Amino acid sequence: MAQIFPRSANAVFRATVMGVIGLVAATVALAYGIHGGGYFTRQDLIRHQPVPFSHRHHVESMGIDCRYCHWLAEESHFAGIPPTHTCMGCHSQIWAESPMLKPVRDSYESGEPLVWNRVHDLPDFVYFNHSIHVAKGMGCATCHGRVDEMALVWQENTLHMAWCLDCHRNPEKYVRPKDQIYNMAWNPTAREQAELGPKLVEAYDIQTQDHCYTCHR
Amino acid sequence: MSENNADTGALEAPTHWTSLEELARTPEFEAFASAEFPTAWEEARHSEAGRRDFLKLMGASLGLAGLSNACVRQPDEKIVPYVKMPEELVPGKPLEFASAVERGGYGTGVLVETHTYRPTHLRGNPEHPDSRGGLHPQAQAGVLDVWDPDRSRQIRRRGNVSTWDSFVREMNEVIANLSEQNGAGLRFLTGQTSSPTLLRTFEAIRQRMPEARWHIWEPVSRHHMYEGARRAFGRYLEVRYRLDRASVVFDLDADFMGAMPGAIRHQAEVLRTRNNQDFDRWCRLYVAEPTPTVGGSAADHRLRIRSGEAGALLAAVARALGLEVPRPKASVDGAFATAVARDLAAAGRGAVVVVGDAQPPEVHALAHAIHAHLGAAGHAVVTTEPVLAPVVDPMQSLRDLVSAMNAGEVETLIMLDRNPVYDAPADLEFGKALSKVPNRVHVGAHTDETADVSHWHIPSHSAFEMWGDVRSTDGTATIMQPTLRPLHDTHSPLAVLSIFSGENEGTDYDRVRKTWKERLKGDFEKTWRRALHDGTVPDTAFRVRQPKLDPKVLKGAPPPGPDGLEVRFVPDPNLWDGRFATNPWLLELPQPITKLSWDNAVLVSPSTAEKQGLEATDVVELRVEDRMVEAPIWVLPGMADDVATVHLGWGRRSAGPVGSGQGFDAYAVRSSQRPWNTAGKLKKTDRKKRLACTQDHFRMMDRGLIRAATTDHYASHPQFAHAREAHLPKLTLWKPWSYEGHKWGMTINLSACNGCNACVAACQSENNIPVVGKEQVAKGREMHWIRVDRYYSGPVEDPVLTHQPVTCMMCENAPCETVCPVNATVHGPEGLNQMVYNRCVGTRYCSNNCPYKVRRFNFHLYADWYEESLKGQRNPDVTVRGRGVMEKCTYCVQRINRATIQARVEGKKRIETDSIQTACQEACPSRAISFGDLNDPDADVARKQKTPLSYALLGELNTRPRTTYLARLFHRNDELPVPTPARQTESHGDAAGKGGTHGSH
Repeated sequence: MAQIFPRSANAVFRATVMGVIGLVAATVALAYGIHGGGYFTRQDLIRHQPVPFSHRHHVESMGIDCRYCHWLAEESHFAGIPPTHTCMGCHSQIWAESPMLKPVRDSYESGEPLVWNRVHDLPDFVYFNHSIHVAKGMGCATCHGRVDEMALVWQENTLHMAWCLDCHRNPEKYVRPKDQIYNMAWNPTAREQAELGPKLVEAYDIQTQDHCYTCHR
Repeated sequence: MSENNADTGALEAPTHWTSLEELARTPEFEAFASAEFPTAWEEARHSEAGRRDFLKLMGASLGLAGLSNACVRQPDEKIVPYVKMPEELVPGKPLEFASAVERGGYGTGVLVETHTYRPTHLRGNPEHPDSRGGLHPQAQAGVLDVWDPDRSRQIRRRGNVSTWDSFVREMNEVIANLSEQNGAGLRFLTGQTSSPTLLRTFEAIRQRMPEARWHIWEPVSRHHMYEGARRAFGRYLEVRYRLDRASVVFDLDADFMGAMPGAIRHQAEVLRTRNNQDFDRWCRLYVAEPTPTVGGSAADHRLRIRSGEAGALLAAVARALGLEVPRPKASVDGAFATAVARDLAAAGRGAVVVVGDAQPPEVHALAHAIHAHLGAAGHAVVTTEPVLAPVVDPMQSLRDLVSAMNAGEVETLIMLDRNPVYDAPADLEFGKALSKVPNRVHVGAHTDETADVSHWHIPSHSAFEMWGDVRSTDGTATIMQPTLRPLHDTHSPLAVLSIFSGENEGTDYDRVRKTWKERLKGDFEKTWRRALHDGTVPDTAFRVRQPKLDPKVLKGAPPPGPDGLEVRFVPDPNLWDGRFATNPWLLELPQPITKLSWDNAVLVSPSTAEKQGLEATDVVELRVEDRMVEAPIWVLPGMADDVATVHLGWGRRSAGPVGSGQGFDAYAVRSSQRPWNTAGKLKKTDRKKRLACTQDHFRMMDRGLIRAATTDHYASHPQFAHAREAHLPKLTLWKPWSYEGHKWGMTINLSACNGCNACVAACQSENNIPVVGKEQVAKGREMHWIRVDRYYSGPVEDPVLTHQPVTCMMCENAPCETVCPVNATVHGPEGLNQMVYNRCVGTRYCSNNCPYKVRRFNFHLYADWYEESLKGQRNPDVTVRGRGVMEKCTYCVQRINRATIQARVEGKKRIETDSIQTACQEACPSRAISFGDLNDPDADVARKQKTPLSYALLGELNTRPRTTYLARLFHRNDELPVPTPARQTESHGDAAGKGGTHGSH
C-alpha cells in the first residue's frame, strides 16, 4: 500500500509539536509575567489621595517619627491611620488656610471621615500583623521602602507570597537592631548584615515561621 | 464500602444508632451513608437539564474557572480612619462590653465582642450568675439579629413611611384626648419583664393615667411556678434551684437544662462536676418526661411519662416519702417512684424536684411540700421575691384584653415587642378582636404578623443598640449597654413608653441612670461604671425568703391529664415561641434531639406511630377540639406512648424571606384553656413532607464510637473504655511528627455533654459559618464545623441517649493530608491540621478520605458576599470562604495566633497554660470541652487525656487523633433496672473489633 503521508509530513509534524510546546510555554511565561507585573501587584504605582499628603515632607523635612501617625504598629496587626484630629493637631496652627488641606478641615468640622486609598493591600485571606514584625526587628523600610523619600506613596515590593517567604525563611537577611526599626536610612553592607543577622535572629528568638497558618486562616 | 456490605448485613443490629433507619439498616440509609457526596451528575439527572446540558455546563464552568482565576485583580480598597479616635479602642483588637440578652423577662449576662464597636460574637459573662461563662444558642445567635438584613428599618403609619416626630405628635394627641377620662381606653401589651426602668416607667404612666391598663402576654410563661408557690406559701415567690448544693435531682417534665429560665446555670451546676472523678459529688439525675430533652440525654435514669401523669408520679414519690397525700388515680411506675423517693430521702437537704413550668400549680405545690419535708427548702431549693413583676397570669391578662377589645373599651393599644396575632391561642381569636381597636401601635424589630395589621409600626432597636436593664433568675440586675449607635431609624420600647409617662426629655441612657440613681447607695458614678464593666449591679440579688408551708397543699390533687392521645405544646429549642424565627442560624441549627433543621413536626413514639399507622414524614391532620392544622410526623425513639409533642414557634406567616412559611404553626390548635397539654387526634393524609434531618449525616457507622459504663463498673474496670479495642499493627508510611513548642489538643467529656448545641452556635458566630438552606441540608451539605451526634442505645421504645460533639480530630496521621493533590491541607508545627483555602481547588479527596466526616465543602457560594449589613457580623480574623473550597474546624486558629503573637511580642517563650479557649469550649455551659497544650503537663486537656476514660474515635485506623473523648459514666441507682451499661460496653466493644478488622478503607 502506498504511503499516505509524504516524507515532508515528518517535518510538519515535528514543527507542529514544537510549535505547540512553544506556544504553551509562551502562554505560561506571558501569564506569569502579567501576574507578576505591575497591573496585578500594583507595584510602583503612585496612588493619589484626597489630600496630597507628602511623607517626604513630614518625615524627611519635619522629622516626625513613623509612630506619631502609625501609632499601632507596635501594638496591633493594623499600623493605624491617623484620625483627622491628629492632622489638625498641627494644621489648626500651620497651613491652617491652605486650600490643599480643605478636606481635612471639612472632616474636622463635619465629623465625616477622610477616605484614603489603600496602598498596601493584601488579599483578604492573608493575616499580616505589624506588631510581631516590629517586635522581632523588622524595619519599616524593609517592606515599605524609603517612604521618607516618597512624596505620594507607592508600593515598593510585589507583596507576593514568595517575597514574604524569602524573609520568613531567611530572617537573618533582613533583621535589624530594634533601635534602628524606624530609621529609614539604615543600610548595612552585605558583610555587616551577614555578621549581624544570625546574632539578632538568636537574640530576638526569631522563628522561621513558614507554615500556612502563620498567615492564612 | 461495597465489600463491607456483606459483612454489615451479617452484623447484629448496631448497639448505638442515630436513627430507626440505621437500626433497621434500610437500603436508603446504607445508600445515604456510603455516598458522601451526591455526584454532580446525580444531581443533574434529577434536574430538568439533560445529559447534553450537563456536559455543556461542565465544560463552560471549567473554562470560566480557568479564566476567572487568571484575570481577577483585587478591587481597590479604602481606608477610613476615625475623625476623633475613641480612647479605649485599638483598631485590630477586639473590645468586649458586658451586657445581657433577655428572654421571657429573664436576662443572661453576655460579653459582646466588638470590632470597632461592631458586635460580632457573644460569650457568656463568667461573672453573671445565670451564665457563668456558658451561653445557649438562642442567646448566641442574638448577635446576628443586629445585622439582619430583614430588620424593619422605617417607621410606618398605615403602611406608609412616617417619622418619629409625627408618631410622638399623634401619641400626644391620644394622651390629650384621654386625659379627661384618666387614660381609660389606653392599653399596653408587653411581655413579662423584670426591668426596673420599665417598671418605673409603667408606675409613672399609672400615676399620670390611672385608668390606662397594662396587659402582659407571654406564650411560654412561668405562671404555674408562681401560682404553685402561692398555694404552698400563701404568696407569689420565685423558686430557684441551687443545684450546686444538690446531690439528687429529679426533673419532672421540666426541661430544666433547656427551656426553663436559668437553664445555663442548671446545666453548669449539674454537669460541671462531672469533669472531676469525685463521684461522691456527682449529682444523680432522674428525668421523667414525655419527650427526650437535653436533660434526658444527661440523665442517669430516664422515665417516659405522659405530661398528665407527672402529678400522679410525684404523688407516688411523696407517698413513698411518707407524706400524706391522696393516692394518685393514674397508675405510675411504682418501682421508679420508690427508688427516686428513697434516693431523695437519702439526699435530704440536697434533694431537688424540678417541676416543669407547664405542670399544673398543684404539682409545684406538692414539690414544695417534698422539699420542706426533706429539709431541702432553703438549702438546695430557695424562694425569693418574684423576679418578674408584676406577677400576673399572662393567659388571663390576654383574655381580659381580648374581651375589652371585643367590648369596644380599647381605643389605643400599644404592643411592645409582642406578636399576639401570631402567637395568641387560637380560641381567643385575637386578630378579630384587634380589628375592633381604632388605633393600634406595634413596636418590634420586624414587620411581623401583628405589624401587618397595626396602624403604626415602630421598628425597635436590637439588643446591642440600646440601654436597658434586666434581672437574672436570682434577681441580679444587669445594665444592658449598647455597643453601637442604631443602624437604622429604630426606637426602643422604653422610648415609646416614655411618651406616655411624660419622661420624654432625654434618652434611654438618662432613664436607666435615673432608675439606678434612686437605688444605688454610695458614690453613684463609681458604682455605675463598675456595674457596666462587670455586667452585674452589685448587691441586687434577692434575699432568700422561706415562708412556712401551708399544710393544705398535701390535700390538693393535681387535675388528671387528658385521655387518649395527649398533644403537648412546648417551646421550640431554637425558635422558642417564634420570636427567633427570623434568625437563619437558629432555623438551620439541628434541634438537639430530633436533629430536624428548618422544620418542626409532630413527634410521636415508634409504637404510637405504628398504632396509628403512621410513618415519619407522613402529613397528618392534627385535630384539637374543633381546630386543625396539617403537620408532618416524626417518629422519635424515647417518646412516651400516646403523646404527640409539637414545638411552638414555627409556621410564621410574616417573618421575612427567611423565616416565613418554615414548619407549621402549632398555635393554630392551641387553646387558652389547656395551653400545655390536651387531648387530640391525628388523621393521616396521603401526602408526605420532605424534612431535612441531619441525624444520618456524616455517619461513621457503629464502630465503638460511644463508650459508656456505670461509675461502679469504672471503679472495678478502669480500662473498660479500651477493653475491646482492636490491636492492629500501627503501621504508617510517614515519619512521626515531633513537637518542641506547643502541641494543641482537645478532649470532650461525654458525661458532661447533653447536646445543647451551644458549641455549634458559638462556632458559627466565631468562624463565619454560613447557612445553606433546607434543600442543601437535606443533601447533607450543612456547613457546621462542629456537629453534635445524637446516639440511641438499648430498646427502640426506651433508649438511652448520648450526645457526642464531633469536630476535626487534627489527626497525627491525617488521611486528608496524604490525598490532597495541591497540598491545601497540611500538618503544622503545633499539630494543627491546616486547611488552606487559597490553595484548595475543590477535589474533595480530603473529605472522602476523612473517616470522621468533619470536612465541609462549599458547593455553592454559601457565604453571602453581597449583603452589606451581614458583613458587619463577620469575624474579621477569619476568612470568608468562597465557592469550591473545603473547610473544617481549625481549633480556632485565629485565637491561637492572637495569643501566640501577643506572647511573643511580650517576649514570652510559651503561652500560659489554658489561656486560650476555643469558641466551642468557651460557650459550653458544662465545660465538657477542654482545649490546650498536650506538651504542658499542667494543662487540663493533658491531664484529661491521661485518664483511662480517654479514648480515640476509630483509633484502630491509626489516624492518631488529637481530639479524644472521655467515656460516658452513669451515676446510677442500683435499685432501678436499666439496660446494664457494662454489657453494652462489651457489645459495642465487639462492634469496634469487627469494625476494625474489616475497616479496609
